Amino acid sequence: MSAASKDTALRTGVIARALIYSILLVFAVFYLLPLFVMLVNSLKTLDEIRQGNMLAFPEVFTFEPWIQAWGEAQIGVEPTGLKPYFINSLVMVVPAVIISTLLGAINGYVLTKWQFRGHRVVFGLMLFSCFIPFQIVLIPMARILGILDLAGTTSGLVLVHVVYGLGFTTLFFRNYYDAFPTELIRAATIDGAGFFRIFRRILLPSSGPIIVVTVIWQFTNVWNDFLFGASFADFDSQPMTVALNNLVSSSTGVKEYNVHFAGAILAALPTLIVYVVSGRYFVRGLMAGAVKG
Amino acid sequence: MAFLEINRLHKQYGSVEVLKGVDIAIEEGGFLVLVGPSGCGKSTLLNTIAGLESISSGEISIDGKVVNDLHPSKRDIAMVFQSYALYPSMSVGENIAFGLEMRGVSKADREKAIQGVAGMLQIEHLLKRRPGQLSGGQRQRVAMGRALVRDPKLFLFDEPLSNLDAKLRVDMRTEIKRLHQKLGTTIVYVTHDQIEAMTLATQIAVLKDGILQQVGSPDEVYSKPANMFVADFMGSPTMNLIEARIENGGGSLSVEIPQRDRSLSLPVPQPPTSLQSYSGRSVVLGIRPEDITDLDGADPKAEHIAHANCSVEVVEPTGADTFVVTQLGGKEVTGRMRSANGLSVGADVPFAFNMGKIHFFDPATELRIA
Repeated sequence: MSAASKDTALRTGVIARALIYSILLVFAVFYLLPLFVMLVNSLKTLDEIRQGNMLAFPEVFTFEPWIQAWGEAQIGVEPTGLKPYFINSLVMVVPAVIISTLLGAINGYVLTKWQFRGHRVVFGLMLFSCFIPFQIVLIPMARILGILDLAGTTSGLVLVHVVYGLGFTTLFFRNYYDAFPTELIRAATIDGAGFFRIFRRILLPSSGPIIVVTVIWQFTNVWNDFLFGASFADFDSQPMTVALNNLVSSSTGVKEYNVHFAGAILAALPTLIVYVVSGRYFVRGLMAGAVKG
Repeated sequence: MAFLEINRLHKQYGSVEVLKGVDIAIEEGGFLVLVGPSGCGKSTLLNTIAGLESISSGEISIDGKVVNDLHPSKRDIAMVFQSYALYPSMSVGENIAFGLEMRGVSKADREKAIQGVAGMLQIEHLLKRRPGQLSGGQRQRVAMGRALVRDPKLFLFDEPLSNLDAKLRVDMRTEIKRLHQKLGTTIVYVTHDQIEAMTLATQIAVLKDGILQQVGSPDEVYSKPANMFVADFMGSPTMNLIEARIENGGGSLSVEIPQRDRSLSLPVPQPPTSLQSYSGRSVVLGIRPEDITDLDGADPKAEHIAHANCSVEVVEPTGADTFVVTQLGGKEVTGRMRSANGLSVGADVPFAFNMGKIHFFDPATELRIA
């Protein structure tokens, strides 16, 4: 208790503390309930689900729905399961995240340390791009992808996500580098380092927290994107989210809820893992720009 | 041709002129201190010498070579920054060697250079640490090591001691002076601390609002300030500047300080000719606190001591000396007494004025008359 009192602004009584924790616990349980329902039902047989009790533990554990969802379920016209689409998503997300993060970092570097006439306007416009709804860019983007001959390809989707993510990644890096001492850049300039050398040797090694924030942000956004995937992808480049939709909203055959639950969890798993592994950096990184020092 | 020459240097940010035609020159091995209040343009001047900021017009040359359009890394300079600017992700050793690495010096030579500098600054035991693990004084040494290791033609220091606590600042000041004497390097040093300027410099340049007020040796700047600003800026406590009149009393001049009840008249010994034309006109009399003393404390070698009684208003003992504030000509005037004996507020005590060390300024132009 003595250790905790150092960090907390006020020391509260035991009763107040118990009350706070029990309320928090109730909320936590409430928010975890859907995940619980999905997990429990994905391990039941379809017959058991039909009996009605959604919250009950499975009487007979079965991994069959998971195997179905991953490799055998009917998606569109092919019984491929979600596996090929999972790979599609990965092939799309990884380059999209890396490229947009790197470009955002360079943008932030230029906008703070190599300021040019009108840099504020450029940043303002990039910031503005964060607030443009997805739907507005659909048709122009389709045109551009057509002109570039990237329509229906994974590369096309990577481009879309890089362009759309650039506003956010630039914002993150610009605010982070804004607090980075300019004297360091000057010292390195006198030491003889050039534009990219300063970036690689001085800035990047100090950018850990903001890189984590940007990667999480971009990864979850790109992975969870449905609209661009549904609009711009062909059958062979459709991401996980679109495939999941095709699996769940298929209008033929029996609704296999257990398979749907398993598929939904599979689709959410990568973002979940990313959050669990590096979530604390996310919170810390988001706060980093807020308060100096 | 001087080692570092700055001719008619102008620097503008949009319509704001920060440096308005600065001319400075120092010889090789000189220690030039740029001093002035904040916002006077001294850091900007240093940055233009470094090449970190472009100049609007004028010329800067180092060792006979005009460097106006030369990239900072090609000017053969090293700079120590106020925040030290140590690269946080590198060890102390890597920090020191970074400039050499960028210039393609081999690893073996770099190691040798690091060891040499580390030995000189006594930071060998810190080489493996990160800047974040160092104290302020240690960081300061590393920053100097990084500058020294490249053996440049010119060292630039941008308020390097202002982030240290008072005691460490005095120690590092001595250390910098020792290094300069040992290595004989040419240094340009920016500070707002006039004591640093006095102790370190071979040449002091006083700046105000982008205009050079005076350049000279510390002694010149201190004992012959070019104008009222320099007189006021250099020295602590500051010089007393009193409004007075020059009276011509039959061949000898005297300075008369108007007082409420009795006006105080002090003789001016060996008045310079420039002062003659001011007889009957008002001037500003400048006299440093150490030249207003108690009778015993007066400089025994001084030839012209004038005595006058003044009433004590404030007594400020500092240990070695006691500063006494009184009123002259409607202004507070500080004198420096040997001891606080017999000094009580309101008492009328005799003061000794060292008239050999007084200054006169024109009240309109603020320039030095004599």
